[in-house]
Order: sequence, then structure tokens, then C-alpha cells
Amino acid sequence: MSEFDNTQVQFKDDDFVLVKRDAMISDRKLETKPTTFFKDALRRFAKNKSSVIGGIILGILVALSVIVPLVIKDDIDNVKSSERFLEPKLFEAGTGFWDGTRKRTHTVYDQENEVPAISEKYSIASIKQSLISIKVDEEPSLIDTANVYGHGGYIVIATDTQVAGNDIYMQSKPVAFTSKGNYKIDIVFSDEENFNGGKLGEYRVYLKVGESDDDIVMIRDFGKDYSNISFDISKALEEAGRDSVEARVVFDVKASASEIRYVLVKSISLIANENVNNAELLAAISFTDATEMINNGDKESDGYWACTGRKGIHNSEIKYCDYVIDTYMLVYGDSDPVTYSASEVKTWIENGWCQYDYTVGPESFVRLTNDCPIDVVDSQKLLSRTKKLESITGRGWNYRKLGYDKMPVHLMGTDASGIDLLKRAFAGLRTSLIMGIIVAAVTFAFGLVWGSISGYFGGNVDIMMERFTEILGGVPSIVVLTLCILHLGNNFGTFVIALCMTGWISTAHTTRTQFYRFKGREYVLASRTLGASDWRLIFKHILPNSMGTIITGSVFMITGVIYSEASLAYLNLGLQGTHSFGVMMSNNQPYLGVYPYMVIFPAVIMALMMVSFNLFGNGLRDAFNPSLKGSE
Amino acid sequence: MGKYIAKRILLAFMTAFIILSLTFILCKLLPFEKPVGQEAERVAYYDKQYHLGYLFRFEEETDKYGEALYKTSGSKGVTYYYYQVPVLEQYGRWLGNIITKWDWGYSKTIQPNVSAGKIIKSKIGYSIRLNIFSTLFAVPMGILLGIWAALKKNTMTDHIISTIVTVFISIPGFVLISFFLKIFCYNLGWLPSTWPSDMAPLAQKIKGYILPICCLSFGSICGYTRYVRGELCEVMESDYLLLARTKGLTRRQAIIRHAMKNAMVPLFPSILADVIFIFGGSMILEQLYVIPGIGKLFVSALTAKDYDILFVDMAIFTTFGLLAGVVLDLSYGFIDPRIRMGAKK
Repeated sequence: MSEFDNTQVQFKDDDFVLVKRDAMISDRKLETKPTTFFKDALRRFAKNKSSVIGGIILGILVALSVIVPLVIKDDIDNVKSSERFLEPKLFEAGTGFWDGTRKRTHTVYDQENEVPAISEKYSIASIKQSLISIKVDEEPSLIDTANVYGHGGYIVIATDTQVAGNDIYMQSKPVAFTSKGNYKIDIVFSDEENFNGGKLGEYRVYLKVGESDDDIVMIRDFGKDYSNISFDISKALEEAGRDSVEARVVFDVKASASEIRYVLVKSISLIANENVNNAELLAAISFTDATEMINNGDKESDGYWACTGRKGIHNSEIKYCDYVIDTYMLVYGDSDPVTYSASEVKTWIENGWCQYDYTVGPESFVRLTNDCPIDVVDSQKLLSRTKKLESITGRGWNYRKLGYDKMPVHLMGTDASGIDLLKRAFAGLRTSLIMGIIVAAVTFAFGLVWGSISGYFGGNVDIMMERFTEILGGVPSIVVLTLCILHLGNNFGTFVIALCMTGWISTAHTTRTQFYRFKGREYVLASRTLGASDWRLIFKHILPNSMGTIITGSVFMITGVIYSEASLAYLNLGLQGTHSFGVMMSNNQPYLGVYPYMVIFPAVIMALMMVSFNLFGNGLRDAFNPSLKGSE
Repeated sequence: MGKYIAKRILLAFMTAFIILSLTFILCKLLPFEKPVGQEAERVAYYDKQYHLGYLFRFEEETDKYGEALYKTSGSKGVTYYYYQVPVLEQYGRWLGNIITKWDWGYSKTIQPNVSAGKIIKSKIGYSIRLNIFSTLFAVPMGILLGIWAALKKNTMTDHIISTIVTVFISIPGFVLISFFLKIFCYNLGWLPSTWPSDMAPLAQKIKGYILPICCLSFGSICGYTRYVRGELCEVMESDYLLLARTKGLTRRQAIIRHAMKNAMVPLFPSILADVIFIFGGSMILEQLYVIPGIGKLFVSALTAKDYDILFVDMAIFTTFGLLAGVVLDLSYGFIDPRIRMGAKK
């Protein structure tokens, strides 16, 4: 202010110029371009970033659902049981992410073959070659059952409280002992006092020579002495004045009426000097590995050691491991070696399938065409006299047997029927989308007319029409669908009909509400006052204003159809006869715990689809809403 | 208004009656499903159906009513033949039984020869409990989030909340439960992967509620959040709120006394409608999480074609659904008094 006060501002007449001194004063043409409702809506839609992104993702998904089933050549109609449960694979196996490998933790470890003991159909060879990494637990776990992969531990000879009071016996098969044979027996016990609530019991060990109970040679008499026994049988026989006997080794455990009594035996070894003729039987009866004895020896009908009580295993050592396995190698990798005769090889060479020269050996094998069943020759066998080829043993890639030219790659893995999930998902999505579009189109057309009439005329017409929609809409859609399926059969057409039958109600409802909203407005009233017909009011004034909401409703109708189709599948009413997204999802649901990719991948697609559809639909609604025009 | 409400409620019951009648006739038009099970149970079932009036019983064969459904020797050495009564006649007797004796019939396969009312009674508790808990969880959560988003309009908080709302409102419950099961049951092992049995300890039972409540309420939470945010944003820009601020109220006072009150009014009918609507339970959720509620019962009854059970179950669903529709329709009047539902042109 102060500055202004100090300055003297002087204006002269020349400083002022009339702007339109000589110009014609008249209306000028608008310089902005005229635009239509839809163009304007499109322009405003393009401004909404999230909707555009939603639209793009939606477009990609729609495009994929068209392209993927065409590009991927896999057969998705037939069950391929050998190829089931393949993990998703994008990168080479071993990269650690999306590489078709499966991680398993805490699996029983097969120490003999140094592989995880997976009891599936796979042979050890195929497990070995598809094994990517394995980490074995350093400390073995101790278990009380005889596992095939267990080692060591003790044999438990336990009494039973059920037959209280009776001693129980564990006896070997009869063996011929002679006083000259230098027969010895070594037994190792354990005094571990901690076993399933029982107590170590009194026991004795003896050789049962004859049928009568007195005809015995005592090795150790009743007592609680669990120190190791080293007993010279031949010497004892000599002292007893017997030359040769056929006897069983018997463990006799004294029973208690109230408790389980037991004895733990770690190993028994029966040895003789070299030239006895029953060394094999002695070896079979002897054992150093209790678990192995239970696993192998007891496969005999009565076992090498028969027991009247309960014979079990205690503290068998079992190792566990974590491993990563390439599921593709497991299924498509080398097959087991197969032997082919010389004449077969000759045919292959004659047909030009391969080259092979047996005088050079397996390394001369060259595969020429895909008809040849093997890829590698492991060994060959020559006839002993003529030194000509008798047979070769070779291996081929398993995928060739399954009819592929190269190792297949399943981006999303395969499901329980061995079907490629990617193709199945998008084929299902395509079905859902087509169904959605058809249903949306039909319901849009019908619902619009119905809703307009009901909403515009109101009163009794509205009440009547509303009751009709209420009755139809009140029947749960699941019942409508079930009745349709039962009367018309389960197919695509039935689903479309059933979904249309209930679907148009929501469009009609939206339209009706919109009509109620707008029909009382001043502009409608003005138009009516000017004598506009019902027809004109409906189509020129009310409908364009409510179009946005109704169109959005129809877009959401498509998501509704996809949702309904999927949810019906979860209720055991899935679409049959064609690929269905919902049926796939609900079929895969039980495998969530074991093969999570089977559920997660389709769920991600479904979620992506729904989210982008909603974003897109919301954008459309805002764009079509005339009241939001110019608000941004 | 009162007259309109009364008319609507009366009409809702009329509609329910028509729906049930239609479904009854349509279902009964399908071929008769014979019960499978023990001989004694089957005899008892046919006997009950005969006494309810859905079957004829003759002592000798006749070809008047189509093929004989079942043949059995009675206690006095008499052989009975059972035939299906014509559908419309069955319908009449069905209505008669319900009106005079409130007898909804007996189960055929789900729990053979147990009355439908008894089965429903044993199942409905689970559904109602689950839905009440999830509403109790969803309403405050939704309102709070909505208010928060509205107060922080166009900030990062608002954008995050809006994004989450859009995502969760779009993802179907059965997809959501797959993710939850994978993360919380299989990976972390915090929650049971199916509904715990009645024998399970209390802690386990409480844990069993967590997942279904989450799946049921996430959608509603998002719905309420979106609704409250929109409503509150609109009110915040209104002239009367500006006036309230101008006359000297603090922001807090203006929001709580003026904005909230007005924003909440239209919300309550929709909450009420929501509560009534979800009373019936969620079929898919009950199916996936093996919850023994009436939603699962409906699916099993439909699969097993146990119609008597189906009709009771459907009566419950339809009545609640229609009542919810009435409440929702009336709520439009609250939201915008310019809209007069049922008004003539």
C-alpha cells in the first residue's frame, strides 16, 4: 500500500484502446468440437487409470483364453494318468523357482540306495536321476516298529497281560548241533529299563533238545542278568555226554499277572567251525541287525524265531531326509533299461532308424529318427560261438513312449488326470466368458424392456411385474439349475438357459430402480408437460440417463455368470461336456494341502479376472454417469 | 408408508408360498427316487409316506397309478403295494399337513425317517451363530474403515483402503478360502483345515470359527467400507456441514454430530437386510469348510434328492431372502426421500 501511495500514476486518454472498436458484434461459432455421449464417456474412462489397467488385464486374459487353447497342443480331453501332478515349470530344473521341482521334507531315507524312500510307482533308477538335492538328517530317529528302511535296534520279547501267568517262549528253528562242530552262541542283551510301561523280566535261555520240558541244555538260568552271553554249545554237549542233538534255542520270559514283562535282545550269533554242513541255517538264525531280522527272517511262515508272546522291535534307527526332485525327469526321464534282440536291432538299421556296429560296441550307436525306441545303448551281448550280436540293452527317453518329440513343459503343471492346467484353465475360462457374454446379452435385452415398463408405469403394473420377478428370483438359482439339468440334461445350453432365467431379474431390477429415480425429475416433468409420448420419455430422457448403471450392471453380469458357474461346481453341479473353470477348481480343491499349485494358479487367475472386471466395470459406471460429467 | 410396508410384507409371504408350491410341483414331477438303506428303514419310510398321504397303499397290484414303487409284506402276512399319488393331490396333502399339523415330512436318505423339522433344528444353530458372529465383526470394522478412509480422503491411507476394498470385494469367497486354507492351515498350521467336531475342546472350536468368519465377513466389510466412505464424503462436502464449521464447531464436533448421523441413517436398513439375507448361511463356505449348517444341508438334500428336507430348507431361505428384499427396497426411501417405491408414473 505504502509503495502505491508514493507513486503518482497518471493515465492519459491514449492509454485506453477499445477492444472491439470496429468489429462486428455477433455470435461466434463454438470452437470446441461437438461430442457424443459415448465419445465423452470413453474420454472420461481413459482418464481413470485403474480402470484402464483393469481393462488391459482383462483384455490380456480374454486374449489368452482365445490364444492359449490354440497354441498349446496338449490333449486336454483324455486322462493321462502317468503324467499327473507335474509341478509348474518355466525355468530349467534346479534354478529353484518355478522349475518343475518338488520339495519334500522329513521323508524316510533309503540308506542302502542313498535315495529318499518314496513309495510311489517310480523305480530307484528314476528317483536317482531326477534327484536334484538331498539333505539327510544327521541324527537317526528311533522308532518302535519294523520299517523296511530301519536298521539296528532290539528284538522285544514281551509277555501279554491278557494271558497272565503263562511264560512266553521265543524259539529258533531246530538246528543240528554236534559236540565236534565247535558250536558257539553269542547273545547281546540290553538293560534299557524304559519301554511302553513294562518292566524288564526274568528270563532263561536254553537249548531244547527233545519234546519233553526237562530235556534241555541250560545256557543261562532264570534271573535278571542282562550281561552278554558267550556260550560254547559243543563243550556243553560233550559235558552232558551227547554226541549230536537237534535242538532249538529258546528264550523263556517269566510272566507277571499285572504287568508286561519284556527282554531286549540286540543280536544273536550262532557260529561253528568251517566244515559244518548247516552253516546257512546258522547264519539265517543269527542276526546282528534286529530290524533286518524282523523284516527278512520273519517272512518265513513261522519265522526263524517263533514267539508265543509278542515279538516286536525297539529303537530301530531310521533316517529322514529333505529332498528336491525334478518331477519332469521322474515322469519323462530315462526309462528302465530294456533288452532288444539282434533281429530287432537289425530291423531298425534296415529301416534307417539308427546306426549300430556291434564290433565297435555301445558307443557306436547313433540315433537317426524318432522311430527308434532307444536313445542310449548301455551294453551288448555277443553270442559265445560266432561272436555275433545276440542282444543289446538300451534306454530311451520316457517322453518318447508317451508320444512327445521333446521333453514337455507345463507352465502351470498338470492336475490329477495329467492334463495341462494352463490350457485347461484358459479353455475353461473361454467357456465361462462365452457363457457370460451370451447370458449378459440376453438378460440385458430382456431385463431392459421389463424393467423399463415396470419402472416407468409403476402402480399396479409394477406390483404385478415385481411379484413375477420376485417369484422367479426367489427360487434359489441352484434349484432352477438343478431342475433344468434334471429336465434338460447337463450341458452348455442348459446352463445358459438356467442362468438367463434368473439373470435378467437383476438387470430388470436395476433398470426399474433407475426409472424410479429419474421419472420424477423436473426435466421429465417438463417434457411430459410439453406433450412427449411415453415412448419418447422412456427412450430419449430416462433411459440415456440410466444407461451407465445398466451397462455396468451387464458387465458385472458376466462376472456374475463366471462366479455362478464356478460356485455351482463347488456344489457338485458343475458344467459337464465341455471345459469348465469351476469344475477344474473344485476338482483340484482336495489337493490344496499336497499340491498347492493346482489350486493357487487357477485361484490367482480367477482373482485377477474378478478384480480387473470390477475395476473395468467401475470405470465404465463412472464414465457413463452423466451427473459426474465435468466434475473432474 | 405403514400401509405400503404391510402390503409388501404380506406380498412377500404370498410370494414365498408360490415359490414353494412351484418348486414342490416341479420337484415332484421328477421320477420318484427310491430310498436306499436298511429294509426296516425303507418299510418305515414307505409307511410314513403313506400316512402323510404321498403314496397309495393297496393289498393287490393295480395298474391305475403306474408301476408299483415298492412291495412289502405287512405284519399280518398281507402284501402291500405302494403307488405314487398324483402330483397335485400330493401338493394338496402337503399343504394340509403343514397348515393343520405343521408337519413338513420326513428325511429319506440324509437321516432316514427323522422329521425334517428336527434335522433343521439341529443344523440351523451353526449357520445362525456363524452369521451373527461374522456380522458382529463386519459391521464395526466396515464402518470404522469407511470413516477412516473418508476422513483421509485422497491420501495414501484412503488409496490403500480403497484398493484393498476393491480387491476383496471382487475375489469370490471360495477363492479366498483357498488362499486362507493354504496360508493359515497348511503352511502355518495355526487354524484347523475343517470345522472342528462338537467333541473338540473349546479352544479348537473357537479357532474353527476364525476362517469362516473371515471369509464371510470380508466381503461385507468391504461393502460397508465403500458405502460409508462414499456417503460420508458426500456429506462432508455438503453446505450444512460448512455451516456447522462456520458457526464455530470443531472438525470433530461437526463430523460426529452432523456428518456421521446423516451418513449412518441409510446404512442401517442395509445392515438389517444383510443380516436377514445371510441368516440362511453360505452354501459354498459350509460345503468347503464342512460346516454342518443348513447351507450344507441344502446341498446334500439336493444331491440326495431328499425333497422333504429340501422344501423346509428352501422355505427358510426364501422367507429370509424375501424379507431382506422388502427391507432393502424400503431402505431406498431412506437413502433418497425423492424416490418413492411403488409410486405411479
